Amino acid sequence: MATEKMLTGCAAAAQGAKFAEVEVICSYPIRPYTAIMMELAKMVANGELDAEFVHGEGEHAQLSVVLGASAAGARAYTGSSGVGVAYAFEVYSPMSGGRYPVQMAIADRALDPPGDFGSEHTDAMSTRDQGWLMGWACSPQEVFDNTLMAYRIGEDPRVLLPQMVCQDGYFVSHIPDKVVLPDVSQVKEFLPPYNPPHPLDPRKPYSHGPQIRPDQGAPMDAQRASAFLEVPKVIKEVTEEFNRIFGRNYDPFLEKYKLDDAEIAFFIQGAHANTCRKVVDKLRSSGVKAGMCRLRWVRPWPTHEIAEALAGIKAVGTIETSTSYGGAMRGGNLIHELRATLYDLPDNERPLVTSFMAGLGGETIWPKDFMYMAEVLSNMVKENRTKKYVYWIGLEPEE
Amino acid sequence: MKDFDYKYQTFDRIKSYRNAPREEYYVPGHRTCAGCGPALCYRLVAKAAGKDTIFVGPTGCMYVANSSYLCTPYAVPWTHAQITNGGAVASGVEAAYKVLMRKGKYDGSFPNIIVMAGDGGSVDIGLQAMSALMYRGHKVLFICYDNESYANTGIQTSPTTSYGANTTFTPPGKLIPEGKTLFPKDPPQLVIGGHPLVKYVATANVGYPTDLMNKVRKALSYESPTFMHILCPCPKGWKFDEKLTAEMGKLAVQTGLWTQYEWENGEYKFSHIPKKYKPVDEYLKHQGRFGHLKKEHIAKLQAFADAKKEWAKKAAVSPIEVVAQVPAG
Repeated sequence: MATEKMLTGCAAAAQGAKFAEVEVICSYPIRPYTAIMMELAKMVANGELDAEFVHGEGEHAQLSVVLGASAAGARAYTGSSGVGVAYAFEVYSPMSGGRYPVQMAIADRALDPPGDFGSEHTDAMSTRDQGWLMGWACSPQEVFDNTLMAYRIGEDPRVLLPQMVCQDGYFVSHIPDKVVLPDVSQVKEFLPPYNPPHPLDPRKPYSHGPQIRPDQGAPMDAQRASAFLEVPKVIKEVTEEFNRIFGRNYDPFLEKYKLDDAEIAFFIQGAHANTCRKVVDKLRSSGVKAGMCRLRWVRPWPTHEIAEALAGIKAVGTIETSTSYGGAMRGGNLIHELRATLYDLPDNERPLVTSFMAGLGGETIWPKDFMYMAEVLSNMVKENRTKKYVYWIGLEPEE
Repeated sequence: MKDFDYKYQTFDRIKSYRNAPREEYYVPGHRTCAGCGPALCYRLVAKAAGKDTIFVGPTGCMYVANSSYLCTPYAVPWTHAQITNGGAVASGVEAAYKVLMRKGKYDGSFPNIIVMAGDGGSVDIGLQAMSALMYRGHKVLFICYDNESYANTGIQTSPTTSYGANTTFTPPGKLIPEGKTLFPKDPPQLVIGGHPLVKYVATANVGYPTDLMNKVRKALSYESPTFMHILCPCPKGWKFDEKLTAEMGKLAVQTGLWTQYEWENGEYKFSHIPKKYKPVDEYLKHQGRFGHLKKEHIAKLQAFADAKKEWAKKAAVSPIEVVAQVPAG
């Protein structure tokens, strides 16, 4: 029977892993994700979950242990935050190239220096081109749900790719919220056991990860890329099935909040969307036609869905919770992809696009900050031009 | 984790090389150099372990010169690991088998899980992952096939490269006439010294194939992690005639530069100790990597060999106590 509990994002992720009956877990402590492993360690110690709990000697080892486990045919789970995500970097490409559908929970944290526990998406965003599926949740419930959905999508024979299930550190990872935990039978119906096509099994020997010649490289890269072309179809199917079995109402790719008749829109990922939604309501009540578009998946990037959702809106501002120093727009990451996404829209439907550096280093994005952004966007509409490509919230000179 | 009665493999002792199994699991299809010591080692290890085996192969010669795509020499499951993480990937494979067998998803006996790592992948960049595997107690045999250099990248010095060796990172010159100035790390002693769950560590050498295979079998019969350090002479890196590979292994032992031993539950057992040791020059003179050495350098290597002999003598009669052993039972 489904039950309702108050859970933090970390506890929700651990529950997701438990319902997914993960078989090999590899831990290493770093705040804030570490609370996920603390929960799982208790479940294993109490016999609630039959899994091997391996204490990795670092994040590089965590990824390596789950790679081996997945190659041998077990459903494997790990996670990290901040500089830990960076320390594991070598293993991201072998994981996706080897088509090992492990799951990595990330509670986002800023990178050093200086040492900062605060939430920021730069950790996971730095790995965005390594061939992993990457999704962001904005509530503990969504963390739980994404954990199950990501395994189902990643283990689909058309996909076979590792997944990062990301949540904002502290804002989601450490604030309890209501989470509906399903009945085991619902999960059984939704998530079949992991059944890899070529496990390391002495009864049927395969070689994994051999050395190739340069001319064999491009075809393999193309294969990985073409798997990504299949992923959106699978995400759509799986989300629909999830909604049906668990009684939810997720859009597969985007949360579209009051976008239909919007003139200005916030383009956002992660937990700050919760504040943003309230500000949209407030703006609407004062007559400003505002809306919000929240990314549920960053990899694969939902290109067509975004273009369709934002076509005809006058001005869009990306909320950049990660950095891209020296990039084309000199600020964050989202604006690059968003501008590329909108490039082919007809002139009269293509929004003006700017970016807001906000929520970095763990800063809260306050309603007044969103109000400021709305003013910038409204001025862009009025003047029909993009004055600046990047605004550093709280650090801009007063006009 | 629940108690579970795992089904393990058992092995017979191989009486002589002629009685060794005929079946090969490291087969043609690779492109190693003529006289390659590591390739010979691989073949012997695979033969001794048999078909119920999974190899984890961190980057090194035995990756680059072996696992050419569509032409694998491994007739048992094999996976590449990064040069950094052989120990960690093997830990994951082992953990998977533990849980899969416990859940009834795999009904064979517990496969042999063997890491075949070079010296760099064992005790240099791979040290952390190797040590963590040994510490955590996974049922894995970790083999350091030691050719005393980073050979596939063009013979650069590694921590096990001999004092006085000419490598591409330690070329002899006016200011540094001996080339490499440091003496090597000691892999088996690293493992013995600080890993309470390890019960069996051995050294072996492609010059003594039957001994090598029996040590592999003994290592595989333990339910805890085991470690082997295997000397694999490298004609290209050491610059000797490729027909002398086995001979180089024997000469290393006969000069006292390599010691053959087993360490089992705290006790040392030495083998192949010559009645009379040869001077180290008998070993050095065949190898171009030592061609530049002067008398004083050779004297240093002789002193190194003499110290090893002394250590072996002492260890054989009164085993060096290892602290922090896990209490029995």
